[in-house]
This record gives sequence, structure tokens and C-alpha cells, in this order.
Amino acid sequence: MRLAIIGFGFLGRNLLKIIWEKMSLIREIDKDFLIVGAANSKGYIYNGDGLNVERLITTKDISKLSGFRAEPALNLIKNDLCDIIVEATPTNINDGEPGLTHIRLALSKGIHVITPNKGPLVLAFRELTELAKKNDCDLLYEGAVAGAIPIFSLVRECLQGDKIIRLYGILNGTTNYILSRMFFEEISFEIALKEAQEKGIAERDPSYDVDGIDAACKIVILSNALMGRDVKINDVERVSIRGITQEAISLAKKANYAIKLIGTINKRLEVAPKLIPINHPLCVHGTLNAIHLETDLAREITLVGYGAGKETISAILNDIITVLKRRTRK
Amino acid sequence: MKFSLTLALPDKPGQLLRALEPIAKNGGNIISIIHERDRPIEGYVPVSLIVDFISYQSFKKTIEDLVSLGISILRSEEVIERRRLVFILVGGMDVKRVIESRLGGVDLINIEATMSKTGGTSIKLEVEVPANEAERVIEELKKVTSEQGALLIPSIEV
Repeated sequence: MRLAIIGFGFLGRNLLKIIWEKMSLIREIDKDFLIVGAANSKGYIYNGDGLNVERLITTKDISKLSGFRAEPALNLIKNDLCDIIVEATPTNINDGEPGLTHIRLALSKGIHVITPNKGPLVLAFRELTELAKKNDCDLLYEGAVAGAIPIFSLVRECLQGDKIIRLYGILNGTTNYILSRMFFEEISFEIALKEAQEKGIAERDPSYDVDGIDAACKIVILSNALMGRDVKINDVERVSIRGITQEAISLAKKANYAIKLIGTINKRLEVAPKLIPINHPLCVHGTLNAIHLETDLAREITLVGYGAGKETISAILNDIITVLKRRTRK
Repeated sequence: MKFSLTLALPDKPGQLLRALEPIAKNGGNIISIIHERDRPIEGYVPVSLIVDFISYQSFKKTIEDLVSLGISILRSEEVIERRRLVFILVGGMDVKRVIESRLGGVDLINIEATMSKTGGTSIKLEVEVPANEAERVIEELKKVTSEQGALLIPSIEV
């Protein structure tokens, strides 16, 4: 199969590196596997016989490579040049673009899509999954929620007969880092936030994380994907962690609780600060994420792992291998 | 709905079976039964039961049937399970007054408050509520705290 990476930022570049390292494993599944294209916001580079990956990895700006075409990445998809795309352009939850257009076009042409990009999934989950089904291709998005935690694969493969009754989780590493620092170091929200910004864990405008927007996006995807709902971001009630004081955290700590930003799917959808008993499996610290599922048969399952960064490559690569196993003709 | 029943049965064979018949007939599910045969009082044995009925009506009908069989009922009442809830409130408010005026059926177990250097108040609140009322209490508390510009942090267990 021929793979193209659309979006050549941190994730795209690291993915390419890992695929290169794991090529022999991948070729055991699909001996004809090739990386044929890589696109950034300025254009793309393509070679039907396989790109020179070593050259790509070591180049800072792929636009400067010979053979780079200053054309929209859409042309890579439009002209039947690949069988799988990894759509890793930046998340945009306002209109989902440019990812939404890439994914729509790919699926409508029967090209398998793997994406860690939340925007298109939050805005058009039902439309995209139906499009994939109609055109008999895969749409996998393990990396879009809680990074390396294999929540969708787990439910798809291992909980096929279970009904998920309730789900709650720590779905944002930045806020977990801030609240953990407040818990352990007894510092204020402002100082913890500043520290997170200095370490590159929080953005200069932290609202997307601290006001629960990122976690709410994940709640939307989880609800739609795992519980068959059809919800939008406005269906999720949100409470920011900005109002949490160091005194509140100390009071909670004295009573053996930590305060965490928890996303909940129950009768209602919610992202809000909650008290968690410190011995609860969900009570993880630092930038870790955790998801706790309650199902009718397995009852309770907790998954813990890293929610962002390089670890997300694990999820994307597993999705690629899943597609190759399903679709490669032996 | 769970009910607690204490009956006084004559200390003669077959009495317990006779008393259980109306319970079974009305769909009651016996959760526990204590039959103190070794402690008869004036020829009567006290039997305490916890029974789960589907409705108050089936419980009432059982009582009527027991009475018509001549069985004396020493005590009968609904068992109300209570749950303890913990909250943290950020921002000042008169918690005691709010609970008394707006939150019926809530017992205040413990309040602990701290004040920050900047004058902000944080309060830890422990209350006990009838188990089936927990959701209503949280909703009402959320409403009151947001009206007063405070932030309510409930426990994940609710």
C-alpha cells in the first residue's frame, strides 16, 4: 500500500522517522508498503516508487527539496497517488480545515484515513464515518483522543459485547500538569500555569486547555465513537480550572482527595473540576491522561498513558498496521 | 424500595411461613430476615425483615394482608439509604443558611473553611443525603453556588 502524510509538523515528521525505523515490521505485513508522499501547508513532495525517507527526515523544510510541488496537498489525494493518508494537519475546531476537506475527499475516493486531528472528528464525526462505510474504507483516529492510550482499539477489539454505561477521564495533560504542581508544590494556579508555559506544556494562550475546550472535543469524539451518540461540542458543559485556588487543593488534599479536570460521559456530557480520591485508579499526575470505563460486563476498566507528544505516534502507527492487516491482499 | 418490618409471631410451628406468604404474593424480595426464636416474649417471637418492594402500593397491600391474617406488626417503615457527599466550594457563601433554606433532606456533617492571603474563601463541605436525592442535591448546590459566583467542585463518585 502507498501512504502519504498530510501535515508535516511535529507529528508528521516523527511518524515518518518511526515508520522508517520499523519498516521491516511493517513490510512483514505488507511487502509492498511505500511512503509516497509528504505534504505541508505550502505543497507536497511525491514519488510513486517511494520517497527518500532519510533525506526527508534530515531536511528542516521539505519545501526546499527538489521535486517539491507548490500545489495544495489535495492534489495528492485527488489524483489517486496513495491508498492511505495520515491526516496530521493542526487541529481547528472552528471549521475543521484544512483537515476536514482532506479527509472528506480521501474517504469519498475510497482512500483509508488515519488521523490524530480532532477538528474534523468533532465537527463531522457521523458524516465522515458514514462516508468511510459507504466507500468501504477505514477511518481510524486512535491518536486523536488521549494520545497513546488505545481506547478505541480496546473497545473495538476487546469489548465487542460490552455496553459502555459511563466514561470519565483526565483527557488533557496540560491541566493535569498544572493541577498536579498545585497539589504537590502548593503553588498558585498562576504560577503553575506560568511554569507549564515555560516548559512548553501550555500554550501562550492557555484557554483551549484550561477552559476545558480540548477535553470537551475529546468527550464529543468518545461519545460519538464509543457510545453511538451524535453530539456536538456545545452539548458539553464546561467549567474552567482558572477558579481553583491553592487553598481549595489543600483542603481537598487534607481529606484525601485531589482536584482534577474530569471529562464525563453519563446522562450528561461534562468537563469540570472534580474531587478524586487519591487512591482511585484515575488519580494520575503530571502530564498523564487516564480513562475510566464502566461497562455492563467488564464493569470497570482504567487506562493510563501519555496523552500528547511523541507517544501519540504509537497510536498512529497501530492504526496504520490495522489498516494494512485488514486490507493487504496476501 | 426497601422496607423494614418487625412482626410478632406466635411461638408455634408454621407461623413464619404463614407470614411470608403475603410478602411473596405481593412481589416482595426478602433481603434479610432475623428470626429470634430463642427470645420469645410472652409467647411471641419477634421477626425482623428487610424487604424490597417494587412500589409503595405493594408494600401497603402486604401490610393489609398481614393484618387480615391477624399477624401483629410491631414496626414498619421505609429504609432510606443515605449517601455521604463531599464538595469543595471556592468563593465565600453562607453554606449553613443555603442548606437550611434551599436543600431539604440534607444533613450537614462537617464544614471546614480556609481563607487565602488575598481574602478568598475555600470551603470543604460534607453532607449526608438520601441516596436517591444525591443528583438533585448536586444540581441545586450547583445552581446556588453559581448564583453566588462561587465554584462548586463535587466528588467524582457522584
